[in-house]
Amino acid sequence: MRKYLLILPAVVVLLVFLVIPYIDIIFISLHPAADDRPYGSGFTLRNYVQVLTDGYLVHQTAMTLWIGLVTTCATLVLGFPVAWFMAHSSARARAIQQGIVLMPLLVGIVVRSYGWTVILGNNGILNRLARDIGLTRSVLPLMYNSLGIVIALTHVFLPFMILPIFGTIRSLDPALFLAGRSLGASPAITMRRIILPLTMPGIQSGCVLVFILSVSAYVTPMLIGGMRVKTMPMTVVNTLIDAFQWPFGAAQALVLSAIGALIVLVFFRLTPLRWSR
Amino acid sequence: MNMPRLLPVLCCAVYFFLLAPILVVVLASFNAGAFLTFPPQGLSLRWYRTFFHNAVFLRAFIESMEIAVAATSISAVIGTMAALFSMRTTPALANIVRLGMTLPLVLPEVLTAIGLLFFFYAMGIGVHYSVALLVGHVLLTLPFIYINVSTSLRSFDPSWELAARSLGASPFVTFYRVTMPLMKSGLTSGCLFGFIVSFDAFSTSFLLKDVGTATLPIQLFDYLRLNFTPEAAAVSTFSIIVTFLIVIMTKTIFGNRFTK
Repeated sequence: MRKYLLILPAVVVLLVFLVIPYIDIIFISLHPAADDRPYGSGFTLRNYVQVLTDGYLVHQTAMTLWIGLVTTCATLVLGFPVAWFMAHSSARARAIQQGIVLMPLLVGIVVRSYGWTVILGNNGILNRLARDIGLTRSVLPLMYNSLGIVIALTHVFLPFMILPIFGTIRSLDPALFLAGRSLGASPAITMRRIILPLTMPGIQSGCVLVFILSVSAYVTPMLIGGMRVKTMPMTVVNTLIDAFQWPFGAAQALVLSAIGALIVLVFFRLTPLRWSR
Repeated sequence: MNMPRLLPVLCCAVYFFLLAPILVVVLASFNAGAFLTFPPQGLSLRWYRTFFHNAVFLRAFIESMEIAVAATSISAVIGTMAALFSMRTTPALANIVRLGMTLPLVLPEVLTAIGLLFFFYAMGIGVHYSVALLVGHVLLTLPFIYINVSTSLRSFDPSWELAARSLGASPFVTFYRVTMPLMKSGLTSGCLFGFIVSFDAFSTSFLLKDVGTATLPIQLFDYLRLNFTPEAAAVSTFSIIVTFLIVIMTKTIFGNRFTK
């Protein structure tokens, strides 16, 4: 029985500081607002009705999920070839590449987003370059829009896509690809019928991680969007901290998380079926 | 393995994409001009001088260090204990423990922070005394310690501890001489990961910080909303250097400590 003492602190921490607070968020979202307290008494679904019927919030939720989906696709398209190449490099080249992929993770998210404002800004490196070589006279709209947010988020979360896929490719037998080829399958067919199904676990965890991270991202959309593009996490924080409307903010956060979780579930249901044949 | 010839080119482009914003920040910090232009107008360390005389940024840096060290230390104890439990218990239970311990990593950080904010207000503590901030950072760092320590203990056989005990070693000596050497690499990298995650954390700190205090990422974010001088680049470069120094120091100090 003494061994259970080892797990006790972890159970207490997770129960008290994770499970109870999450239940608390649900609890608060079902209460009416109050002027003198964080939330009033009595049960209500009004906060949810408000989130789901406010055209502006619905649009913003759709926008946030869309940015998440595009970012996930972009990281997958860029990340898979890199993971593949990394896994098939020599030991030394692989170590260097792993260093390059891990390095951005050592640099804070504020710093990296700031770097993108220097590159994408109206007076930034890319715009200056475009002007100098005479590509354009006007300012290229790279920042303060969803394009800039997707570019920066793709950069920030790319390592989370590359690393899990790299892990699964490494665990594959390199002969599998050759076997497919020697049996007459084209590289494209070998890739689609053999490699993709086998690397599916890595692709799935990479996609889910990147999707969750980019939908709930706060700093990057804030710095790159410059308040001109608003995503849901920004609105949630505004509602909670600046407007001090806890029940409404909690409902906003929960609606976004619920839709996000639903998309993840649908993704899990669809992906193995699609490639298993 | 025959690979499409374009693949290395594409990969180099992606690596450039990964490193570009970091290089830009580092180079911009040596700008001699008053505004953030690229390429820099002459080289200078003036923005580093400005930064080292800026008490607000220095206080934020110390705050970040304190929180990261405290949170990582607490997580190191709790996480290691949980990892030691997982390898002594049934696979089914160990699986549940693994799910629970990685939960803070898969749940959206903003949502967890909101939950903690509500919780500590309900407790009547609010964001005072940085308690909420510390708890938030413990949750952030815990999964990294647990994952790394339990990975390094994967091949561990609990009967080795029994063997040591039956040969007359005290529980403490058994732990120090048998268990510790096996998990030290996992514990070191877990603490390293945890420290860096905590040092760079934004959403958790932003929502849970005590009134009037700020960690370095928060202070930097506040500054960036109103200013565009290269001082922000100097602060960023400084925090990058600190992170890298900690990685290198940890590796050299703890790299071979328990090898005997």
